[in-house]
Amino acid sequence: MLAAIRSATLFGVEGRPVTVEVHVATGLPSFQIVGLPDEACRESRDRVRAAVLSSGLVWPASRVTVNLAPSSQRKGGSGLDLAIAIGLLAASQQVHPDSVDGLGFLGEVGLDGSLRGVAGVAPMVAALGSGVRPVVPSASAREAQGVAGDAVRVAGTLRQLVDALNAEAPWPEPPDNDLVDDIVPLPDLADVSGQAAARTALEVAAAGGHHLLLVGPPGSGKTMLAQRLPGLLPPLDAAIALEATMVHSAAGVRLPPGGLVRVPPFRAPHHSSSMVSLVGGGGTTLRPGEISLAHGGVLFLDELGEFAPVVLDGMRQPLEEGVIRLARARASASMPARFLLVAATNPCPCGGGPPGNCECDEAARLRYLRRLSGPLLDRFDLRVPVHRPDVDDLLASGGGESTALVAARVAAARQRSMDRIGMLTAHIPPAQMDALAPLDPDARALLRAELEADRLTGRGYHRVRRVARTLADLRGDELVGEANVAMALQLRVRLRVTSRGFAA
Amino acid sequence: MSALPPEAYAAALAGLPAMTVHRLGALLRHHQPELAWQVALGSAAPQGLMRKVMADPATRAAIVRQANAASPEQTWRRCEALGSEVLVSGSARYPSLLAADPLPPPVLFALGSLDLLEGRRVAIVGTRNATAAGREAARSLGEGLAHAGVHVLSGLARGIDGCAHRGVLSAGGAGRPLGVVASGLDVVYPREHRDLWRSVADGGLLLSEVPPGVTPQPFRFPLRNRIVAALAEVVVVVESRERGGSLLTANEALDRNVPVMAVPGNPTNRAAAGSNALLRDGAAPVLDAGDVLVALQLDHRWANASAATERRRPPSRDERVVYDIVRHEPRTLEGVALAAGLELVDVAVRLGRLEIAGWVSQADGWFEVVGSPAP
Repeated sequence: MLAAIRSATLFGVEGRPVTVEVHVATGLPSFQIVGLPDEACRESRDRVRAAVLSSGLVWPASRVTVNLAPSSQRKGGSGLDLAIAIGLLAASQQVHPDSVDGLGFLGEVGLDGSLRGVAGVAPMVAALGSGVRPVVPSASAREAQGVAGDAVRVAGTLRQLVDALNAEAPWPEPPDNDLVDDIVPLPDLADVSGQAAARTALEVAAAGGHHLLLVGPPGSGKTMLAQRLPGLLPPLDAAIALEATMVHSAAGVRLPPGGLVRVPPFRAPHHSSSMVSLVGGGGTTLRPGEISLAHGGVLFLDELGEFAPVVLDGMRQPLEEGVIRLARARASASMPARFLLVAATNPCPCGGGPPGNCECDEAARLRYLRRLSGPLLDRFDLRVPVHRPDVDDLLASGGGESTALVAARVAAARQRSMDRIGMLTAHIPPAQMDALAPLDPDARALLRAELEADRLTGRGYHRVRRVARTLADLRGDELVGEANVAMALQLRVRLRVTSRGFAA
Repeated sequence: MSALPPEAYAAALAGLPAMTVHRLGALLRHHQPELAWQVALGSAAPQGLMRKVMADPATRAAIVRQANAASPEQTWRRCEALGSEVLVSGSARYPSLLAADPLPPPVLFALGSLDLLEGRRVAIVGTRNATAAGREAARSLGEGLAHAGVHVLSGLARGIDGCAHRGVLSAGGAGRPLGVVASGLDVVYPREHRDLWRSVADGGLLLSEVPPGVTPQPFRFPLRNRIVAALAEVVVVVESRERGGSLLTANEALDRNVPVMAVPGNPTNRAAAGSNALLRDGAAPVLDAGDVLVALQLDHRWANASAATERRRPPSRDERVVYDIVRHEPRTLEGVALAAGLELVDVAVRLGRLEIAGWVSQADGWFEVVGSPAP
């Protein structure tokens, strides 16, 4: 007897439909899986057999062949377990063959016959297509419902599922979403006292989409500031939210209660992270990396200089294009990776401080800064000095503005910029700078003086102009004035050494 | 080989790593340079103190090995190609200032005009890692002294040393830069001072104790400092850390009865901890070039020359408010805004203008003043 069951596997952040064909025939009892399964997939034979027996069902004493079609494409993971089990039961007449029509099965089975969730349910459900009702383990119900809504059917155990298919019991109810309460409130900007310049920088970064480098000694609050940036960003729009959800699901990251990632994600990988963990790849299925998980949100790299240079250089292409294209000998995948990069570093090995406090000689400082590759450093529009707040600062300012207040200004500025030029200011190409971000004469004079004094490089010039444009949008100014440029210059600490000192 | 002048052998001896100042001094005191070279090669019997030195088999082996690997002819050709003069202690051209020193350099390599050592000489030394205020002080001292016709000695290091000499060169006065370096005269260190190195050799005097081609090594810097101290009439320490190399120069100066002066720094400024300690120990304070000229017993009417030729635009009243806050101690942008009770943006505009005018300097987000405008 033959049965064909619909299922899907995960590749990168996309699901790919798979048909599980199970053939049960007379012959010496055996069990074969063909169609390029990987190790986890091949092991499903043992899991499925145990689950079938534990559920009080019969393991056919026949020659069983399972084909995963299309058979030219590699399949990985344990998500095909359930489809194989159901295929076997349908082919051996323990489940009515007609009852599986129009259904797609996803999930892993346990030895006791229970069903377990797997990573990537959302993209896999999407891959099944709209004509197919997905059947998923209860644990994955929320993720599947985010994509397929009420069409989703769930089951807790293989036995439950078999009874429902044979119409001996009703379909189990999906678990109640309201009971799951894992909304973590975002940290509020009001918790940060002082740090006026860094706060402005966060606001500008959020409003203009500028990448941000925080430069300051340990303990000055760089991480605290970075964590508050996602709260300033507007909620993800529908398209980005769906992409982000797919990535999170594919990586096995828990999705929010609604099943859709709407809050801009915040990812902070440690500096020992490998290239693959950051940009994605690895294994047969090319897992998404941190840069994809940060899609639509913020990627925070603390101690930027401690990251392996090759890892940082690997991020340059996705930073430019908003997508990471991974190619391997057998396959290639592209995954979304449009994120706001926030990085933190010490100004020098000793941590710096007021002038004269630093013990490092110039060569040591240079060596330290040289670890931050020049091309990457150039991606940061904002390079903001962060200082340890002193006592006066802590006492005088109390709490600052709250996230809600600043986020409202950010939203207005983003709208203004979209209305005016149809893009965020960080993406203004240099050639269109004069047309899209015109300067008033005073602002022009200030920039000219900075350039002539060798305190500003050519690249820095364009970055400062973009930031000044965002500042003008935040204030509602039509032209970019001297005040905007002066402030933008303060948000760009000098790190590059020239013959006459450090330049921005 | 016999066509080589005796200086060639002295120069080659000065380049041997095992040849310390004391050994080289003893060797050249008891032997003519050519004979001294034979001693180093191991083919002539040593005399005087050198007998003791060469009696130690390890030292003897090192010297003989190094001498056999070196070539006086090559060293001499390098000196000639560079245009460097080789002065051996005791010769007529050897500077009399150094001849009387307790530890004179036995061989001296010079580029530029030796006559400048007849003029008035002040050493300006300090940390390599100086604050903007310190660098400005060094620059304006160099400028003021050069205007008054005083030559400025320094070590051509990063930071204060370099700034002092740049000040001298920018003044274009009668005072010239005199540099004493720790490497061969053709081995520019630090490399970013290539242009400065050239200008000092062209417009002043560049001295070294080692022949061309010798790379800088840590132990040579303190030795270089003793030559700076020996040549100076006054040593001015601008900014020095608690255990900075410039304090070694100051100590060498005190050993030679050369007065030591220091530019006062903010007590919280760790770059000025060493120079402030000198002041507490009794060094005379230097606020401008005039103080140094007085110590040299020179007419100090020149002292205000740099102030009189101030080219900077004075700060406006608005800018003055911000300037006065930064004047007392370095501040951050937020710090200034808080102290002035102003919006961040207003402070940014004013500090930007002050920085362009040259009254304020920013590094790592900290602002400090450089120079003071007329009240």
